[in-house]
Amino acid sequence: MRKSDSIITNIDWPLFVSFIILIIFGMATIYSVAFNEDHPAIFALSEKYGKQLLWLGISFFAGLLIFLIDADIYRKVAFPVYLVTLILLVIVLFMPPINGARAWLGVGSMGVQPAEFAKIATALLLSKYISELVVKLQTTKTVLLACLIFFIPSILVAMQPDAGTLVVFSSFLFVMYREGLTFDPIILGVLNSIPGIKFKSTWLGSHFIPVLFCFLFLCVLTLVLSNTSFHPWFFPNTTFKGPTGIIISLFIFSLLALLFIRQFSVKRDRSRILLVIALGFIITSGITLFVSTAFSSLAKHQRDRIELVLGLKEDPDGRDYNRNRAMAAVGSGGAFGKGYKEASVSSLKSNHVPESETDFIFCPYAEEWGFLGSILLVFIYIFMLMRIIYIAERQRLAFNRIYAYCVAMILFYHFAINIGMNIGFAPVIGIPLPFFSYGGSSILSFCIMIFILLKLDSQRKDML
Amino acid sequence: MKLENRKYIIILFILIVGVLYSSRLFYMQVIDDTWVLRAQEIAEKRKEILPPRAVVFDRNGRKIVSNKTYYNLMFIEDNITQLDTVAFGKLINWKPLEVRERFKEIKEGEGVYFNKSNGKKTSNYQTQRAYPFLKELTLDEITTIALHLDNFPGFYEEVTSMRSYPYSNGANILGYLNEVSREEIEEDRFYRPGGNIGRSGIERFYEKELRGRKGIKYVVTSAMNNAIESYANGKYDTIAKQSPGLTLSMDITLQAYGELLMQNKKGCIVAIEPKTGEILTMVSAPTFDPNLLVGRKNINLNYPKLSKDINKPLFPRPLQAEYPPGSIFKLVQALIAMQEGVIRSTSGFPCNKSVVGCHDHPNAAGVAQAVQYSCNPYFYAVVKKIIQQQKKRNNFADAEIGLNLWHKYMNSFGLGNKLDTDISGQRPGLIPNSKYYDRIYGHNQWAFSTIRSISIGQGEIKLTPLQMANIAAIIANKGWYITPHFVKSIGKKGPLPIYLKRNQTMVDAVHFSSVIEGMRRVINEPGGTGSAARLEEVVVCGKTGTVQNSQGQDHSVFIAFAPMDNPKIALAIFVENAGAGGAWAAPIASLIIEKYLFNKVTNKDSEKLIIETTLSNIRRP
Repeated sequence: MRKSDSIITNIDWPLFVSFIILIIFGMATIYSVAFNEDHPAIFALSEKYGKQLLWLGISFFAGLLIFLIDADIYRKVAFPVYLVTLILLVIVLFMPPINGARAWLGVGSMGVQPAEFAKIATALLLSKYISELVVKLQTTKTVLLACLIFFIPSILVAMQPDAGTLVVFSSFLFVMYREGLTFDPIILGVLNSIPGIKFKSTWLGSHFIPVLFCFLFLCVLTLVLSNTSFHPWFFPNTTFKGPTGIIISLFIFSLLALLFIRQFSVKRDRSRILLVIALGFIITSGITLFVSTAFSSLAKHQRDRIELVLGLKEDPDGRDYNRNRAMAAVGSGGAFGKGYKEASVSSLKSNHVPESETDFIFCPYAEEWGFLGSILLVFIYIFMLMRIIYIAERQRLAFNRIYAYCVAMILFYHFAINIGMNIGFAPVIGIPLPFFSYGGSSILSFCIMIFILLKLDSQRKDML
Repeated sequence: MKLENRKYIIILFILIVGVLYSSRLFYMQVIDDTWVLRAQEIAEKRKEILPPRAVVFDRNGRKIVSNKTYYNLMFIEDNITQLDTVAFGKLINWKPLEVRERFKEIKEGEGVYFNKSNGKKTSNYQTQRAYPFLKELTLDEITTIALHLDNFPGFYEEVTSMRSYPYSNGANILGYLNEVSREEIEEDRFYRPGGNIGRSGIERFYEKELRGRKGIKYVVTSAMNNAIESYANGKYDTIAKQSPGLTLSMDITLQAYGELLMQNKKGCIVAIEPKTGEILTMVSAPTFDPNLLVGRKNINLNYPKLSKDINKPLFPRPLQAEYPPGSIFKLVQALIAMQEGVIRSTSGFPCNKSVVGCHDHPNAAGVAQAVQYSCNPYFYAVVKKIIQQQKKRNNFADAEIGLNLWHKYMNSFGLGNKLDTDISGQRPGLIPNSKYYDRIYGHNQWAFSTIRSISIGQGEIKLTPLQMANIAAIIANKGWYITPHFVKSIGKKGPLPIYLKRNQTMVDAVHFSSVIEGMRRVINEPGGTGSAARLEEVVVCGKTGTVQNSQGQDHSVFIAFAPMDNPKIALAIFVENAGAGGAWAAPIASLIIEKYLFNKVTNKDSEKLIIETTLSNIRRP
């Protein structure tokens, strides 16, 4: 009895409530999307909402078990669980393919996707490994070993093939970044081989991951905008090419940053920060210019291929079908939405948006609730992510912190990619929207993920 | 930097994504309309439902235009799976090649159109849209096909309605429907390709009153293009509404009788109820069965035949044929002269045959007698007095003033300009004014002596039979008329407002009695030219005319009204190449009047003779 008291009093209510709200929203959306007049009861097991509810029941039962078991167990079982998952990921490759992917264990609606659980297992083992390191992720060996932990399952997942989950595994890089991942051994190895140079650490090495992402983002943005032109409101009668626009905005941001710095920084640091901003501006502008000129100097067919991949080619009824329909559904929701069960584009019955109960579930939600609902959902997710990072940072145990970061980054990736592909910001790769999308494995794994986090957090004071 | 501070980088990433996504959602959902339109394109279909066209009744409530159900065999290309053209051809009795040709025809004929704005040929054909493969099938035809349609997915039957004319009379009044043209579709969003529009007659003039209100149903369609539910529970739907019918002033039995009398002849009968201007019957002979022009198949088959027929059955003579009126015109001349005060009802003029030919009769000692004898020299003298009023010294200038005054009078009788009848496409006739003669002879180069043949309704004068009947109505009304019209009531609302308005002529009522007396004598006094129109029970007033025709036999014309007191029917009969007015036109008038007033026929012999006679000018191909 004392234990269940403690879980209720020690549970992080903001996270739990936002989690429950998302579950309810998701369930309501599935009920609306898959609604069948012949079986209107939400418990109807023949319908998708009935099945989802059953899986939710299983998930909460699992949650109950997790709450009852001492949190200490996860460090202990991390490695065996990881091994079992790997074995399942191998076995699944020999199963008959469904929709072109060998992702399912078992048959029919009760089948499970090991890839969903592989994320938890990897998160647990990675947390255990990094938390037990005496020296943080500073040496080549430890970095490679940590990377190996998620490379193996991601390669197995890629063989299914499941591009979505593969991408999600790269979220662990951010976790490692938080835990002190540095690429200095490599960078210094190159730099210090130049005679006369002797660095102890580099800024680039320690912040390699975010820099890498900024770089990739800038490249993609440049490509996406390379064929566009726009008329800025501050310079009427002029036309800017997309990349020029990026450089102009970078310049404006730099100026703003300078002003900002003047107000808030210590005098001593100012010249250094000035240098960083100036360098940052020059480097980013350089990248933009380089990418755009490189792109335009490519041969026509090469450009076409890149444009197709990035969705720059208008092909609303062909390659771009899914995204075009999804965006039509989201955009037509308007400010206040069409009303519950009134989704005309994305309901399963109208079927214009494929997979509108799973990967594209944001469509019917946004269509029914409009901008008001969409912004609320974005807000809840962002709030949840912030809360998890807050929880992570208050842990005394490194294992708990690292695990919390894993959960935050996995959820962030799912959120960003899933909603991004609904609004034309991300390529269409099928990954579920956490707590929302229909699908037993995904809902169960996300719930377990959150329940473990809640349990770990509730016991943070018991330790030591 | 402390490791813990790295969380800010991560938080920054998350916040950037949050802000980016929020602004993108705001732009997509609140500001930009593109996606709303795209969604409508994708998922909403506007289905238009045409109500049946309004029915038309005659003045006694008989249904003379109704609708008959037909069937179209529709197809949607996307739903067709592996069409066996041989089996399908067998089902509809076509060769496989014809089936393929028909598909090609639909794709090119109904799908491709010339886009004016960009000068390109645009294909409008859509594989997910329904097109008629066969049109206008009867119930029998569709039932044999429908039995096997299950074997041909993608095909289905659709109910349509087409016009039906139970009486097969009045074709030139009722008009016909035909497929709308591209221009009409562009002009009026009501019409869709393949739809029908009134092409002539009542169907055309009252198109908007007949077509009804289109119903619009918004449906949500699935990716398979099936309608899955009504949009927003039908909140924006409108129901198709059939218009209330039109009631024509026409008496269908009288019309049928008139057409019977005029069979194998060329000419017209126009009968008007003087008090209301309602057209009781308007026969244009030869005529045709309106059922011949129902539906595309029939039109394609029959229209070329009818339009090539040398007897011109499609030509609505009462409205469009312009004939010299002959002696009936003298009535109007006398009225104008009395109004102008240049003669009095008792004025006499000698029958001076040296001016113009005349038959033997006593000198007319007044208007009534002049009308009775139809004395040509009398009306020369009368019209000369109108035209040459000695208002100017110069004879030519004087004639110009006189003629223009006369012209104004004529206009007030609805002559020389189009009557606003509710069938469009009529001709104005011709009443010359000074400008007209100036063009021919030069300014101040003509006087009454030049143009004197207008006195007796010959020369340049031309009237349509409708205008002739209207003269009879004006005289019956003693000076006014309501524009002759075909529709007595639109629904229960009565006729169009202009058909309630009295048009006053420039001649006062007092001057009519002598003319009417003359018309009475024409028929009822011994030696009157119109004695063939005499009836026992009722006093008929009339005037015969014989229109000289340089191309052949004279035309026979007769206008009349009856009864003399409280006239109920005014009419004009015009029979081409039939000789004197009294010989053919007058007996036809008497049969029509008796049929209308008493619904009986006394003079069976005359009726038989008229019905059986084929006038020589009717040519058979």
